[in-house]
Amino acid sequence: MARIEVVNLSKSFSPSRPALVNANFRYEGSGAIGYLGPNGAGKTTTLKLLTGLLRPTSGEAAINDVNLVVDRKRALADVGAVIETPEPYPSQTVAEAIEMVAEFRTGRLDDVAGEIGDLNTKLELPPLTQLTGRLSKGQRQRVVIAAALVRDPKIIILDEPTTGLDPKERILIRNLLNDLKKDHLILMSSHLMQEVTEICDQVIFVNEGQILVRDTVENLADRFVARSVDAEFATPLSIDRIRALAPLVKDVVVVGERRFRISFDGTTSARAEILAGLVKLGPVLSYQSASLVLEDAYLSLIGGGVGLPPPPPSPN
Amino acid sequence: MESAAPPSDQAQFFTALRRQFRFYRRTNRFYGLLGFVLLVSIAFLVVTLVENSNSGNAASYVASLLGAVPTFGIIICAFIGGDAIAMDFGSGTGYFMLVLPVRRSVLLLGRYVAACAVSFCLLLVVYATALLGASYFFGAGAIPWGTVAQSLGLALLYVLAVVATAFFFSSFFRSPAMSMVVTILILFLGFDIAQSIVSVAGVEPWFSILYAGDVITTVIVPVAHKTTTGMGRFHFTTFSPYIWEGAVIMLAYFVVFLGISLWIYQRKESKG
Repeated sequence: MARIEVVNLSKSFSPSRPALVNANFRYEGSGAIGYLGPNGAGKTTTLKLLTGLLRPTSGEAAINDVNLVVDRKRALADVGAVIETPEPYPSQTVAEAIEMVAEFRTGRLDDVAGEIGDLNTKLELPPLTQLTGRLSKGQRQRVVIAAALVRDPKIIILDEPTTGLDPKERILIRNLLNDLKKDHLILMSSHLMQEVTEICDQVIFVNEGQILVRDTVENLADRFVARSVDAEFATPLSIDRIRALAPLVKDVVVVGERRFRISFDGTTSARAEILAGLVKLGPVLSYQSASLVLEDAYLSLIGGGVGLPPPPPSPN
Repeated sequence: MESAAPPSDQAQFFTALRRQFRFYRRTNRFYGLLGFVLLVSIAFLVVTLVENSNSGNAASYVASLLGAVPTFGIIICAFIGGDAIAMDFGSGTGYFMLVLPVRRSVLLLGRYVAACAVSFCLLLVVYATALLGASYFFGAGAIPWGTVAQSLGLALLYVLAVVATAFFFSSFFRSPAMSMVVTILILFLGFDIAQSIVSVAGVEPWFSILYAGDVITTVIVPVAHKTTTGMGRFHFTTFSPYIWEGAVIMLAYFVVFLGISLWIYQRKESKG
């Protein structure tokens, strides 16, 4: 069973600049874990410590029970990683770059052509004979992801894997990761809440080198319920009729002809009661969080006071 | 749980060596250096043909062209190996290579042997040209094959030493280009200037790899260890290393700088 474990892991680049402070977590089996935090929070530092690119100041990082500092080669035996912006040798072709990684991982090249063919289908790689030095950023990112996946390592560590990709490429990667997480352990950092929501089962929030929360997305949904919902009615409705649902409803604004953004106190039961009240007012076409749960959790935990964008002015 | 075992260090060394050799062979700098060495060697051949200035005997003729080997060696080795460590920490190559299940020492040794092999192959062009010219002027039978073979062995040792030194310098830089330039400046100009200064003082420049490289030619045409020239109060002493001395200096460079490079490479972090 694939396993990642971090015990009291700390890293400082200088005494006054701790990048990671006493981080602890342990994951095993399969699934996808999102590693979230603002720039400079310590996300990439953690992933670098987990791939042996950095040495811890104190504490331990182990993969499959092998300490990264003690035996990096054996610890990384079943790991595919994309950290920062990797670049294969520019004079290698796409196929050669992936083959080289396969050879370092298993020492064999006998069946690698078929495997590269599969990765090509899944990731829509650039022409395999093209030199990697001539690839665009997005093409190169897909190649390094393919290289990380060749020989099917059971642990996949990704540092903002969709950076530089266009929407189509992002969907490609998202679908691939959703497929892989069934029997792989994926740890990925990202700034994109949408991406993490769609891929990850569990999340870790980190800020200023400290892990703030570790939980499943479901549990976070309970803890950080969206504080506003968007409701759409099949027929026009007066805003005052919704305001009349106070004290459940704190505020209402019109965001469209038949759409309203409703703010409330933020409990799941309040949200359900509001829906029951709205249904009595007229046929409800849709009723959903005005923001992502993770976004709300992120803003609550990290702070910064970034609110939702103001709705468009009411036509009334 | 037990991880899937990666290949042995030996197998991974040969993977690194083969892949790196192919990488070097495809770079523009390889073709640039090959063109440079060919141009100078052929120019020497043409000049000696046109001027018929064949240095009197085969040994002297061969030695006169091989006299360029220490200088060529520094330029070639610095360009080939001068970015070996810097490339992993100044560009994204390290993020591609250093997350693989391979010991850094294995990766660096494979890269080192590949750089030495490519550099030595380029120097072989100079030897081939010298032997071609000597065969033309004096006949193959007049060539001192034994001492030429010794010279070739010393040239190989020289390459091992200079590439190790280039690797050492490259561990201090993040920019591969800067690393190459500084390596050339220190090895070529730095040692040349230092040699000139200590020669005025009558001190043997035993610390210089460029000085040690002289044995590549003096093994074919021996030169006195110490020669003093000058008039009145002004004397200028030139030294030529003993063969054993040159070999020991090169060996020391090889052992010390490769050892330090390995130590640094294993400990260096990807902070950028």
